[in-house]
Amino acid sequence: MIRADAPLKVRGGVEFGVDLETPGMLHAVLVRSPVAHGQMRALHLEEARRSPGVVCAVSHAELAALLPAGSGDPERPVFPQEEVMYHGQPVAAIAAHTLAEARRAAKLVKVAIDPLPLWGDIESIYPEWPGSDEGNSPRINAHVHARFGEVDRILERSREVLREKYRTSGIVQMALEPHACLAHVTGGHWRVTTSTQSPYGVREDAASILGLPEERIVVEASWVGGGFGGKAAALLEPYALVLSAAADRPVKLQLSYAEEVELSRSTLPAVIRIESALRDGRIAARRVRLLLDSGASLPGRDFATGYAIGFIAGPYQIDAVELEGYAVRTNKPPFGPHRAPFVPQCAFAAESHTDGLARLAGMDPIAFRERHGLRERGLTPLGQQVGPFGLHAGLARAREMSAVWRAELPAGTGIGVAVGFWSTGSSAGGEIQIRLGPTGLVLETVEAEIGSGSVVRGLVVVASRSLGLPPEAIRVERTDTARGPMDSGVYGSRTTAALGRAIQEAALRLLEELARRVPGPDELKLDWTGAQVRVRRGPHSVELATVLTEAERLGGGIATQGRHYGRTGEIDSGRVLAGSFYGYGDFIGAVQLAAVDVDRETGRVRVLRYAAFQDAGRVVDAATYRAQVEGGVAMGLGEALTEETRWDAEGRIENAGLLDYRVPTLLEVPPIHVEAIEGFPGAGPDGAKGGGEPPVIPVPGAVANAVCDATGARVREMPLTPERVARALKLI
Amino acid sequence: MTDPAALWVNGRPYSTELPDDERLLDTLRWRLGLKGTKEGCRTGDCGACTVLVDGRSVLSCLTLTREVSEEAILTVEGLEADPVGRTVLEAFVQEAGLQCGYCTPGFVVALTGLLKERPNASPEELLEDLQGNLCRCTGYLSIRRAVVGLAKART
Amino acid sequence: MTFTLLAPATGEEAVAALLAAGPGELAVLAGGTDLLPDIDEGRTAPRRVLSLRRLPWRELNWTSTELEVGALVPLASLERNAELRRRMPGLFEAVGAVGGLALRHRATLGGNLVRASPVSDLIPILLALEARVGLYGAQGERELPLEEFLQSPRRTSLAPGELLRRVRIPARPCAFRWQRVRPANDISQLAVAVAYDPLGGDWRVATAGVAPLARRAPGAEAALHGVAPSDAEIRACADVAAHEAPVRADRRATDPYRRLLLRALVARAVRAVRDRPLESSS
Repeated sequence: MIRADAPLKVRGGVEFGVDLETPGMLHAVLVRSPVAHGQMRALHLEEARRSPGVVCAVSHAELAALLPAGSGDPERPVFPQEEVMYHGQPVAAIAAHTLAEARRAAKLVKVAIDPLPLWGDIESIYPEWPGSDEGNSPRINAHVHARFGEVDRILERSREVLREKYRTSGIVQMALEPHACLAHVTGGHWRVTTSTQSPYGVREDAASILGLPEERIVVEASWVGGGFGGKAAALLEPYALVLSAAADRPVKLQLSYAEEVELSRSTLPAVIRIESALRDGRIAARRVRLLLDSGASLPGRDFATGYAIGFIAGPYQIDAVELEGYAVRTNKPPFGPHRAPFVPQCAFAAESHTDGLARLAGMDPIAFRERHGLRERGLTPLGQQVGPFGLHAGLARAREMSAVWRAELPAGTGIGVAVGFWSTGSSAGGEIQIRLGPTGLVLETVEAEIGSGSVVRGLVVVASRSLGLPPEAIRVERTDTARGPMDSGVYGSRTTAALGRAIQEAALRLLEELARRVPGPDELKLDWTGAQVRVRRGPHSVELATVLTEAERLGGGIATQGRHYGRTGEIDSGRVLAGSFYGYGDFIGAVQLAAVDVDRETGRVRVLRYAAFQDAGRVVDAATYRAQVEGGVAMGLGEALTEETRWDAEGRIENAGLLDYRVPTLLEVPPIHVEAIEGFPGAGPDGAKGGGEPPVIPVPGAVANAVCDATGARVREMPLTPERVARALKLI
Repeated sequence: MTDPAALWVNGRPYSTELPDDERLLDTLRWRLGLKGTKEGCRTGDCGACTVLVDGRSVLSCLTLTREVSEEAILTVEGLEADPVGRTVLEAFVQEAGLQCGYCTPGFVVALTGLLKERPNASPEELLEDLQGNLCRCTGYLSIRRAVVGLAKART
Repeated sequence: MTFTLLAPATGEEAVAALLAAGPGELAVLAGGTDLLPDIDEGRTAPRRVLSLRRLPWRELNWTSTELEVGALVPLASLERNAELRRRMPGLFEAVGAVGGLALRHRATLGGNLVRASPVSDLIPILLALEARVGLYGAQGERELPLEEFLQSPRRTSLAPGELLRRVRIPARPCAFRWQRVRPANDISQLAVAVAYDPLGGDWRVATAGVAPLARRAPGAEAALHGVAPSDAEIRACADVAAHEAPVRADRRATDPYRRLLLRALVARAVRAVRDRPLESSS
């Protein structure tokens, strides 16, 4: 069965955001701050406006006349009025007939900004752990704290305590299609077509940023050339919309790759202090202190901190745990979601540390994890009861595979294990409409296929099974937020799981309706003739067309809707001392093995083999699932070995571009053995669990543990560049 | 000068206005409407804009259109009509050597060029020569399966 | 339009156009893979661009002792040359280390050398091989050792009105070793090239990534003797190389790490040449 979008995509036949074009369209560029932190003193657009081809130029001063409410959300200004918060922050935007004209004009904008002291590196701001009264400081975006058990006492009195400090780097999603959108404001309708993972999310964001009612804005997704979390919220759309309002023309806006690195909302650096006490080969207590760089702001406030920090405790049964995190405000772009946001970094610290504990305990690392791993009905550190969880089944397979590798690979090869856990983001809601017509079934959704296959394949397979129609009888029709059913977006590994449940509900309604129209004692079945849908009950079979009303014939068929708003489990609020922590929906275990070769003279790490054993609940489509795990591991290898954003002393990113922001290339990714663990059902259709994010999570930890296995050297900073490994090996 | 120019793309002639400083990528996408060729980094680091000039892969973002206006240009839109190109398309479809599809035109064009240039290349040699094409979704593994399958089918 | 393009049909015309242009007014285009990004980023803003595409400077000729390469030979043509791969594996590997294949189909050897880039992977191997460059001007052609041609980063001894015409590369056993954070599509943290001159019985070592521009390492060269230096000699050579280089820190590597790489890669490159069976020149 081929992927439905493959024939089009190999021919370059899908229209991405960057391909959007409409007659009379203007091209826009953003004018960006040359300093990372400063006070706006003056901004002069006159010269730029006089430049050839320029149609309009807007900055904060022009917004009052363009926005119906006069202004938007003061917390999230379109353009800064006073304080510039990060290098490259857009301070104005220009639209011209050609891109070259817009670029030329942008250079003529005069902007004067008085520099303010830079809040750059979090460790310079807080060389020591912040005091307990720091939570209200203007330098803190969020503070979370939870505790249970006698953590202090156990840590003080235990003889075997491992205290470590880990550092993680900033990364960016770097989807190969840059952000791009086409906006057209006309007759009071604010319309934007955009490369997005979440049309409704963009609508909500844009409405709040622009101070418009949501219904005034219509968002439509184009095909999306990769998202990875970076296209789940509004980024360019507000700029393109205000330019279009000012110019009264359609406006296209697209980022360069350098701008992608500088403007993307993604994971920022962090320092993770982690200490655990060991008693009789068991972890008796663990304390985690997270200092997270959250940039200029932290959308969702403490969600990133409160959600991610839970993962640093690991999927382990520990009797006393303390978790505390500060999200520090700095002069960097706002923190944002990046495929399992900040959790690979948490797992890197947690799983490296846990490996160290296993060594201290003199135990095999897999056996040590088996001893502590959470099981169904156990309690998480936040007191939530664990649901069906395939962690132990994955560990058992990893143990077998690791023995095979040991026997096959040359001495000196390092083998590392790491586990991750995750929860399908199915609590974010979604609705879908399905329409059964004479020539097939149509799934109507606002969501675009972003590459994962969840829309063109995942949803189609669920619909196919729910209605007994073959996939070729099913089409996905993309619609906009004015017409389409509400859905929260293609992210959080939720699409097939949550929208799949909605499809099952809609399918049930559809079959009930057909059963009323085609009565009979036998079970109702749908048949596909290759061109037509027929309804059959036992020996009786009719063309679907004959049971449609006139209105349905005109409208294309019988339409029903389904919805799914998942639930997350309860945590024990008595354990929470400050901020918010979050429960999980379902529990996904991801167990991975890496085999590496370490160059003992240079510190260079080569990954030779990789295996992923992933708790799938129930696999919806094997090929798509495998592809998600492969791609996820590859992305994790980039995070583990080569990818990092680096800031200079002035707060500028010094490696903005694809040459120096190093995503993995073809021969760096080894063969990956992918194995789905089934039998521990999740919240999705027939027990499916999300598959897109879990595979990234354990990778940096597994690679670091393999390096340690090979050399005995523990690298406590990711990515594990050759130089960092060389330092850990004490070569320099 | 913005003089008219004659171009030969995918086996057919085109006539278009052409400024001297224009890149082949922009001519293809915005003057000829051949938007299958994707704009990536514009610095030569991603391979998304790969097209064939006289059968050899080149980065259309770093090529002035005038520099190649006398040569035969093949883009992703022309692969269907090319015997080697067609087998490459088929292999990428069968193995789903793609996810979001953004890097895909660059990959299939580059591979078509390689197979024309080195018909007897081993899978390893082909993969080595595809390292200039980046993919962010697949981890390259489904792409590798497509390449290996193709190389084996040809020998 | 940012520039107009001229494409003369002969070397004479090209030189005349060069001589007629004011400073900074005209840029020379060979493959364009460096010039065009420079123009995009505003690092240079020529009003006219002189394309060399019509010049027939594309020789790839072997003699028993050397390889002559026309300045406009694309790098990909070098890597596809079976004899080059066999006789000068170090040059073959250095060529393959430049960008991706699609870039190498247009990037030229001449363009790479004229750029005199501090991060060129080709300069160290050509220095080690003692390549000579032919410069074409109004007075005809003159020849210089590459080492003399390269003056400082982005500065060469090209006189006004001169173009790089050809490169002559002695065919000698050689090796190239380099390291990057990411193995492909990256800039080397350090690159080492080593060649052995069978006639003189002595060695050439060149490094890149350590000084403002790639350079020979005379102390390291002096530490090696004869066709088969001992492991101890090689270690000594690597130590000298690591000490004598004016190493520099930047965002790709620190000074101590570069010295570590120098020591490791110099030893590996020398051993690679020593341990590889000598090819006949047939």
